[in-house]
Amino acid sequence: MTPTMTVITMTVIHGIPKKLGIAHSWVEEGGVHWLAPGSVTVRELATLMNDLHARFITITAYQLPADRGFRLEYHWDLDGQLLGFPYQFQEKNFDSIYDLCEAVDWIEREIHEGFGIDFLGREYEPLLLRQGDTPGVNLRDAVVAGSNAVAANQEKK
Amino acid sequence: MSYKIPMGPYHPALEEPYKLDLICEGETVQDAKLHIGFNFRGIEHLAETRNYIQVIALMERVCGICSNIHTLTLCTAMEGLTGVVAPPRAQYIRTIMAELERLHSHVLWAGIAAKLMGFKTMFMTCFELREKVMDVLQAISGNRVNYSMNRVGGVNRDIEDPASILKMVEALELEMARTVIPIFTTSRTATSRCAGIGVLTTEKALSCGVVGPVARASGLPQDLRKAAPYAAYAEMEFDVPVQPAGDVRARLLVRALEIMESCKILRQALAKLPPGELFAGDGKFDFTKLITTASTARVEAPRGEVMYSVSWKEGSRNPARVHVRTPTFAVMPAIRWMVIGARLADTPLIQASIDPCYSCTDR
Repeated sequence: MTPTMTVITMTVIHGIPKKLGIAHSWVEEGGVHWLAPGSVTVRELATLMNDLHARFITITAYQLPADRGFRLEYHWDLDGQLLGFPYQFQEKNFDSIYDLCEAVDWIEREIHEGFGIDFLGREYEPLLLRQGDTPGVNLRDAVVAGSNAVAANQEKK
Repeated sequence: MSYKIPMGPYHPALEEPYKLDLICEGETVQDAKLHIGFNFRGIEHLAETRNYIQVIALMERVCGICSNIHTLTLCTAMEGLTGVVAPPRAQYIRTIMAELERLHSHVLWAGIAAKLMGFKTMFMTCFELREKVMDVLQAISGNRVNYSMNRVGGVNRDIEDPASILKMVEALELEMARTVIPIFTTSRTATSRCAGIGVLTTEKALSCGVVGPVARASGLPQDLRKAAPYAAYAEMEFDVPVQPAGDVRARLLVRALEIMESCKILRQALAKLPPGELFAGDGKFDFTKLITTASTARVEAPRGEVMYSVSWKEGSRNPARVHVRTPTFAVMPAIRWMVIGARLADTPLIQASIDPCYSCTDR
């Protein structure tokens, strides 16, 4: 990437919080430009990323300790700059962006199968991960006690 | 009347297990569904039970072709956690290993593609050439598959005699330029089997988020070695081959041209290999002194972008989470759009044209 392109890209990136109506700014940490989305929904975010022609990379899912739920980190690439948007929630469902961004298909399916999270507004093809054949194969039993997926897993064992 | 033809999970046209359900009308493919997961080993989950040395050995086994790239990305992410920076010599050695790996991966793919085209002489030529690349990798690392070159803060082994490696690279480059490149770029067999087949348009490539040679063969000039340089790539001069057609031939051309660019990078890196240490400090990963608890690294593997997100709880011996996004995971869903409208007989070559790695994809 040329220095001119970097300047243009950084100008675009610095304009993203304003476009999303977010008052705070980016935090650069661990190789990622992070922006806490606040009340901006993931669907609003995906729409803006599409408008900016950013390339969707992946979602990294974390199961948080105790009953704190899950964190999903959405990653896009904008001309070589890695953008990260973390979402934290306690429910076992979250908005799908599959209809806005088809690149998200397999990772939403993988997270559904691995962590038992339901992405709302989409249908699922048969499982990607064959082990267990039950949504939630990656869930830690001790962390999400009482979860349906875990209970189903335990029954199978 | 449409009918369904299941290809896989175990099929002569597939190098590894996955399943493609093809919905056909006569000999024409109308739609396709892909199923993966036959190699699922739960490596990300296993990583959480390994310490900082064991996790490198584990992640090297995500892929048998680009094993070095996985440890390079993981170590770069772990360096981000502690703020350790690998010394210049280590960065050059990492670049050399990465390009040798790209060479052997691309030549291996060229051989498999030749076999699927019905061009068996070319298959044998490619595999003979690949052996020469493997000899170079073995001369440097002592290993043919899992090279164990990367560690947090640098590399494990030196390149003690760059001049001899340079001679091997020059011989390879000559052979590539004399046989592989002209045959793949000009032969009628290659052209007739590949031109206009399995097209992925630029728009579809963008919306599917494809990476690596598949993206570049659909007119997208994305390459992390240029866009977000790591190791010593910022000091290398090379071009990023891009082809607009989006068909199997374009993917063939991009990889063929990348072979020559890799040789160009290798010659520069070997000639300019700086003196100095192989790793920073005492080479240990001090998990009690983290500057951040999560770090992400991206590297341009032979098949495209690999991304590792590593999080580490301070003081813990094991990572809290290691998430791997492999290039085939991003590219494979696009096979559906490549095979729609294609002849059934072309589907083995079309699916192979993305150079898929199911082992990586399933983890």
